[in-house]
Amino acid sequence: MPTDTHKITFTINGRKMERTISPSLLLIDLIREELSLKGTKPGCLEGECGACTVLINGDAISSCLYLAVNVNGKEITTIEGLSTDDRNAPFDPVQEAMIQHGGVQCGYCTPGMVMSIKAFQEHCEANRFVPGREEIKKAIEGNLCRCTGYTKIIDAVESLFEGE
Amino acid sequence: MNFNVASPETNEELFEVIAANQGRNFRFGAGCTDLLIELKKQPEKDLTVINLGYLNDPQFNSIENNDGSVRIGALVTANRITSDLTIQERLPVLYEAANQLASGQIRQVATIGGNLCTASPAGDMACALVALKAECEILSANGKVRVVPIEDFFTGVRKTDLKENEILRSVQIPVNNSGEKVHSGFIKVGVRRSMECSVVSLAYHIQITADDIITLAGIAIGSVAPTIKFASSACEYLTGKRFSEIGSSESEEFATKILEYASPISDIRASAWYREEVLFNISKSIFE
Ligand SMILES: Cc1cc2nc3c(=O)[nH]c(=O)nc-3n(C[C@H](O)[C@H](O)[C@H](O)COP(=O)(O)OP(=O)(O)OC[C@H]3O[C@@H](n4cnc5c(N)ncnc54)[C@H](O)[C@@H]3O)c2cc1C
Repeated sequence: MPTDTHKITFTINGRKMERTISPSLLLIDLIREELSLKGTKPGCLEGECGACTVLINGDAISSCLYLAVNVNGKEITTIEGLSTDDRNAPFDPVQEAMIQHGGVQCGYCTPGMVMSIKAFQEHCEANRFVPGREEIKKAIEGNLCRCTGYTKIIDAVESLFEGE
Repeated sequence: MNFNVASPETNEELFEVIAANQGRNFRFGAGCTDLLIELKKQPEKDLTVINLGYLNDPQFNSIENNDGSVRIGALVTANRITSDLTIQERLPVLYEAANQLASGQIRQVATIGGNLCTASPAGDMACALVALKAECEILSANGKVRVVPIEDFFTGVRKTDLKENEILRSVQIPVNNSGEKVHSGFIKVGVRRSMECSVVSLAYHIQITADDIITLAGIAIGSVAPTIKFASSACEYLTGKRFSEIGSSESEEFATKILEYASPISDIRASAWYREEVLFNISKSIFE
């Protein structure tokens, strides 16, 4: 049980890493400051707005309220982990749907919003469940957007399940 | 915000680190959703966080269905509570409270133990547990275990009965397996639907026999007094009555009895008058 600095091992966006961190480091600061992945956004920093949402082992959490020491042995996915190097299809289907449906305006909430939708999509697919609009609203209740009025974001999520 | 972290993995390590920190400044961290907000607002000096995130003990981590009771470890998260089938079926009040807490991102990490130990009068799962007359199982660093009824667990705003060398290990909820129907749920009124600290909340769990008699009622109210309140006179009022015969005058009398337990304050979220009006109306509404 070391106490002053902590060595943690984790996977981020498919890459295995080892880091020595200060014990009170927050996950959002590990991601943005130490790993320079700036796609994860700081918003309220109090768990209210969802801009800092990332996935831990596939589940959406707020990285501003999560201790970095607690990612030891876990898998983190940030917005950077969704896009690919393929020039013809650089985006994840969730990102593509957001673009197609006009679910992006100023863009600040978008990375967090996309991560919540990603976790929800995978959860629905694993349970062979096609969600309705109310369930979609519930799935993004933790992500505030001050531009779109949500309708287009909900349309985007709905489109992911069309034909199923 | 600067603190040390100790992450015990076994009970022995947990006891050691609790014992080593007696007389010092330490806090437990489970999901840390309350703790980190508090420390961001008011950093503490020379603090050690005893991080329960790696504690590997089924007594802290699992949901157990026993004959006549459900035992939920203190580290079980709100999301795990909402996906448990027994809780969905037999304890809808707890399912609904867990499902209405904050947002998906918070429910993924927020624990039932943290919700209790924060001892907020607005604690959602805590309110459901008061209605269910749960018992708290407390473990001390010398290995001793004691059990206290949940009503005695809360001693004031943000105060619990836990001593310095104690930790909450689980809660135990009585479950009636006789096949009686339950009329059970959680109503939370806030300024918006999600992510909301409630203005008023009501947890109810009523058991009804096949021939329509109410055999047991548990009613608890949140955010309208310094601690969550169990409305015993309202519960007694219901017990023995025929459920289907509760009409508007009975439900008003019931709601009036509940109001006796409320001593709300006016604050930035709502006035005392509004909280009482809302409490009265939602209390009546459970029979509509
Ligand atoms: C944005 C946001 C929205 C929220 N919305 C709601 C809401 O709608 N309803 C609601 O009820 N709550 C809400 N909360 C509060 C919080 O999320 C819950 O109270 C949650 O259940 C706390 O659990 P935790 O595991 O995160 O606790 P922690 O923060 O880890 O701990 C809380 C306190 O309990 C102590 N503690 C934790 N576990 C134990 C234990 N086993 N034994 C002894 N002490 C212990 C800690 O030392 C700390 O003082 C919200 C919080 C945020 C940030």
